Amino acid sequence: MSTINFANREINFKIVYYGPGLSGKTTNLKWIYSRIPEGRKGEMVSLATEDERTLFFDFLPLDLGEVKGFKTRFHLYTVPGQVFYNASRKLILRGVDGIVFVADSAPNRLRANAESMRNMRENLAEYGLKVEDIPVVLQVNKRDLPDALPVEMIQAVVDPEGRFPVFEAVATEGKGVFETLKEVSRQVLARVGST
Amino acid sequence: MVEPTLVLYGALYQRAMDILQDTLQETGARYALLIDRKGFVLAHKEALWAPKPPPLDSLATLVAGNAAATQALAKLLGEARFQEVVHQGEHMGLYVDEAGEAALLVLVFDENAPLGKIKLHGKRAAETLARLAEEALANPPKLNLDTQYREEAKALLDELFGN
Repeated sequence: MSTINFANREINFKIVYYGPGLSGKTTNLKWIYSRIPEGRKGEMVSLATEDERTLFFDFLPLDLGEVKGFKTRFHLYTVPGQVFYNASRKLILRGVDGIVFVADSAPNRLRANAESMRNMRENLAEYGLKVEDIPVVLQVNKRDLPDALPVEMIQAVVDPEGRFPVFEAVATEGKGVFETLKEVSRQVLARVGST
Repeated sequence: MVEPTLVLYGALYQRAMDILQDTLQETGARYALLIDRKGFVLAHKEALWAPKPPPLDSLATLVAGNAAATQALAKLLGEARFQEVVHQGEHMGLYVDEAGEAALLVLVFDENAPLGKIKLHGKRAAETLARLAEEALANPPKLNLDTQYREEAKALLDELFGN
C-alpha cells in the first residue's frame, strides 16, 4: 500500500503510532524529531489542544535515503489516544503501511491498553484490514514507572497470541524509541515488491 | 476497502503535470498539487513567479486530513460528499477539490487570483484529473524491486536509526 511516485522516483510509507491516551505516542515522535539530523527530516506538524493533547494527529516525515534509485521516505503519524476522538483515529489509519502500538505500563492503564487495541482492530476492519495484514510492533512504554506491570501481563491483554514483536521503552529518555521504529520500518520494507 | 495505490507514471504523469500547468496559467494560482488521500504528493507545479512554497509534505498531509474530516462531516449530515473546499485568508487562499475517489487537487493562490477563476478552472481540472486517476488505478505499473532493494534499505535503516 506504499505510495510510489515513479516520476520523482520516490517510495513513501505511512507508519502510524496507535495506543491509549497519554501512552507516549507523541513523545516517541518528538524524540525521533530531536535526534534525526537536519536534511533527513521535514517539519513536525502537531495538531494538539492547548494542554498539548493530540487533537487530530502529529506528523513527521523522514528520509531514509536513496535505495536503488528510489528516494525512500517514511511518514510518521500519531493518532489522538483519547477515547472520544475515535472518528479522527479512524481517518488517520487510512492507507497505513505499518503500526506501532504504544502501550502504557501503568497498572491503571491496563484496561485502556486492551480497549485501544480492540478499537484499532475495529477501525482497521473499516478499511477491510486485519492486524495480521500489516506489520504491527508493540512498544511497552514507561518501563521506568516504579509500579510498571510485567511486560507479559500487558502483552497478554493486547496481543495474547504473541504475534507482534515487543520492545520495552522509556520514550521520555529515548530508550527503545529507535529500536521500535527500526523494526516496524524493516517489516514494512520487507513487504515492498512482495505483495 | 483496502486503500488503492494510485501511481502516476510516464504519459499519465506528464498529462497530470500538463493539467496542473494549464490550471496555474488559467487561474493565476501560485501552486497546484495533485495528492492522494493518504496525504502524499503525486505531482506538483509552481508558477514561475511564485516564491518558495511551504513544505509540500506538511501541506499535503494537512489537506488530506482536512478532506477526510470534511468527508466524515458530510456523511454525518447525510450527504454523500462535500466537494470543493475553499479557505481564504487576508492574502492567501486554498482551494481543494476531489479528483475522483483516490486523489485531491490543491490550488494555493494569493489575493491577485480571482476566486471565480480558481473555482471554475479548479473544478474542470479536478474532473479531468479524476478521469486520469481512474485510468492510473485501472492500470497500475508493476514495481520491479527485488530483494536487493530490501537489503540496501535495511543498511540505510541501520545508518539512520542505529544498530
